[in-house]
Amino acid sequence: MKRNPWTLYTVLAFGYAFLYVPVLLLIIYSFNESRLVTVWGGFSTKWYGELLQNRQLLDAAWLSVRIAAVNATFAVLLGTLAANALVRHGRFRGRTGFSLLLTAPLVMPDVIIGLSLLLLFVTLQQVIGWPDGRGFTTITIAHITFSMAYVAVVVNTRLGQMDRSLEEAAMDLGARPLTVYLQITLPLIAPALVSGWLLAFTLSLDDLVIASFVSGPGSTTLPMVVYSSVRMGVSPQINALATLIVLFVTLAVIIAGLAMRGRREG
Amino acid sequence: MVGPPERRLLEPWQDPKAQPYLRIERVTKKYGDVYAVDDVSLAIFQGEFFSLLGSSGCGKTTLLRMLAGLEQPSAGRIYIDGADVTDIPPYRRPVNMMFQSYALFPHMSVERNVEFGLRQERLPRAERSERVAEMLDLLKIAELRKRRPHQISGGQRQRVALARALVKHPKLLLLDEPLGALDKKLRENTQFELVNLQERLGITFVTVTHDQEEAMTMSTRIAVMDAGQIVQVDTPTGIYEYPNSRLVAEFIGSINLFDGKVVDRVGDEVLIEGAIGRPMRMRCLQPLALGTPVAVGVRPEKLRPCERYTDDGVNQVRGTVEDIAYLGDVSIYHVRIADGPMVEMTLANIQPRTEQALTWGQEVAMEWSPTSGVVLTD
Repeated sequence: MKRNPWTLYTVLAFGYAFLYVPVLLLIIYSFNESRLVTVWGGFSTKWYGELLQNRQLLDAAWLSVRIAAVNATFAVLLGTLAANALVRHGRFRGRTGFSLLLTAPLVMPDVIIGLSLLLLFVTLQQVIGWPDGRGFTTITIAHITFSMAYVAVVVNTRLGQMDRSLEEAAMDLGARPLTVYLQITLPLIAPALVSGWLLAFTLSLDDLVIASFVSGPGSTTLPMVVYSSVRMGVSPQINALATLIVLFVTLAVIIAGLAMRGRREG
Repeated sequence: MVGPPERRLLEPWQDPKAQPYLRIERVTKKYGDVYAVDDVSLAIFQGEFFSLLGSSGCGKTTLLRMLAGLEQPSAGRIYIDGADVTDIPPYRRPVNMMFQSYALFPHMSVERNVEFGLRQERLPRAERSERVAEMLDLLKIAELRKRRPHQISGGQRQRVALARALVKHPKLLLLDEPLGALDKKLRENTQFELVNLQERLGITFVTVTHDQEEAMTMSTRIAVMDAGQIVQVDTPTGIYEYPNSRLVAEFIGSINLFDGKVVDRVGDEVLIEGAIGRPMRMRCLQPLALGTPVAVGVRPEKLRPCERYTDDGVNQVRGTVEDIAYLGDVSIYHVRIADGPMVEMTLANIQPRTEQALTWGQEVAMEWSPTSGVVLTD
C-alpha cells in the first residue's frame, strides 16, 4: 500500500494541535486586555504588571518552587539508593516486598496518600511533638514519599541496562568501590538522575491533592491558589503566571538537553 | 625498535626445581549446588602464555574471574609470585584483565581510559602521561588518543582495552576471549601480534578461549576444561598429538576413533583387535592389562593411501569415498568402511584437484603407522 504523506502530516498536525493549542491559547490570552478570560479585548501586558503586585500568588509560586527543588533533590538521592539496592544486591531477603512497597505510590490514589500522611503527621505531633504544625516541611516530606518511587523506577531501568563489566574493569584497574561509583557508575547514570530530578520537580510543582491534605495555614502552594481562585472566577493573572512557568520549564528542558549533548560529544 | 623476540625454548614446567609464578591450589567455586569450578589445581610459570580452553559453561571464565578477584573461591587458595592473594580484593591485586566486551569507559577518551588505572595509583602527572603515550605507541593507537570508544572500530577498541590493562605493568594479564569479537582476518593477524607483545613485555598471560585454533597458535601450554574440571594440561603439540582422553581428542581437531581390546603386548607396542575386524598395532607406553577396552585414535592427516593392501594387514582399512571437502590446500575425504564407521582422511593437494585420481564412489585403502596415533582408555 502506498502511503499518502499528507495523511501522515495531517495526523501529526492534529496530534501536536491537541497537545499544544491549549498552551498556545493560554499564552495568547495572558496578553489579553479584557478582564474576562475568554473574551479578547486587545493586546496588553498589564496582567504581568498586576501579577508582580500580587503577593499572595508570588509567595505561593516561590513556596512551590522551593518545595519542588528540595523534594526533587531528596527524591533523587533516596530513589537512587533504592534502585541501587534493587539492581545491585542480588536476591536479598524481602526483595520482592521491597520492590512492591517502593513502587506502590505510583498506583496509590493521591487522596489516600494525602489522608494517610495527614494522619501520620497529626499522630507524630501528638506523640513526639514533631512536626510542629503543618507547612513547608510536611508538604516536602509528603512529596518526597511519592516522587521517590518515580525516580527509583527511572534509575532502576538505567542501572539495569548498564554493563556490569564497566564497574568490574574499574575495580580491576585499582579503583576502590567508592571511586568506582563516583567516577564510573554516576556519570553513566547521570541522564537518568537528571530526568528523575526534573520528573520529581514537576510532580511536586503541580500536585494539588496531597499538598491540600498536609499543608497548614500560611503554606499555600501555587496549585492550591490557582485552584481556589479559579473557583472564584479566573483572573488573567493566572494566565500570565502560567506563561512564565511554561517559559521557565521550556528553558530548563532545553538547557538540560544541551548539557547532555555537550557531555556526549565533548 | 626492539629486536626480533627470542624463540621460546625453555619449558619450565619440565623442570622440577622451577617455582610456579601463579599457583592455583584445589580451587572450587559453587553456585548453590552447582560446581562451576571443581577442585582445580594449576601451576603457571613466569612468561607463559597459558590458555584455558573449553566449551561454554565449562567454568573457564569463572576460574579467570577468580584470578582477577571478581569472584571469591568457595574453597582453595590462589598464589601469585609466592603471595596468597585469595582474600585480596580486585583493586589491590597485581593482576589486570581484558574483558570480553572490552568494558571501555564510554564517557572517557581513549587516553583517559588508558590513564584510569595509573590515576588510581596516584602517580604524578608527568609519569602518567609518559606511560600512557608509550603504551599507545606500542599498540599503534596514538592517533586515536582523543576519540571516544564509540568513535573507533572493534579492532581499535580491542587495542585500547589491551593498552589499558598493560599500562599498569601487571604481574599477570588475564584475557577473556581476547579475539572473540574480531572478524576472522583481523583475528589471525592479532594472534601473532599478541604473542609478540607478550614475549617483548615478558608479562605472564592467562587467556580464556573456546576457539581451539586460537589456543593452539598462541599458547605455551593449554589446559582443557570440562564441567568445571581440568581434563589435560599440555603444550599445543602434546594436546593435539597425545590427547589423554576421548574428550580432549574429539574437542581438539578431528580424529578417527577405532574401538577395540588389547590382545597382546610386544615391547612397547600393543596389539588391539576390534571394530574394524583386523588387528591394530600401536605404540603405547602405559601398562595396559590384556583385555582392556581401548580406542585407537588416528588424526585424519596421519592416514595415507595404502601401498600394499592385504586382507589382514595391520593398521589398514578400506572403504568407499562418500564425500570430498575441497579446502584448497587440503581435501578432506569421508570414507565409509564396510559395516563400519565413517573414516576421515586429509590429503594435501599436491596435484591440482582436476588431476587427482581419488574421486566419489571409489574404493580406497588407507593405513597409518604405529607411532602416529594414540591409544585411549577413556
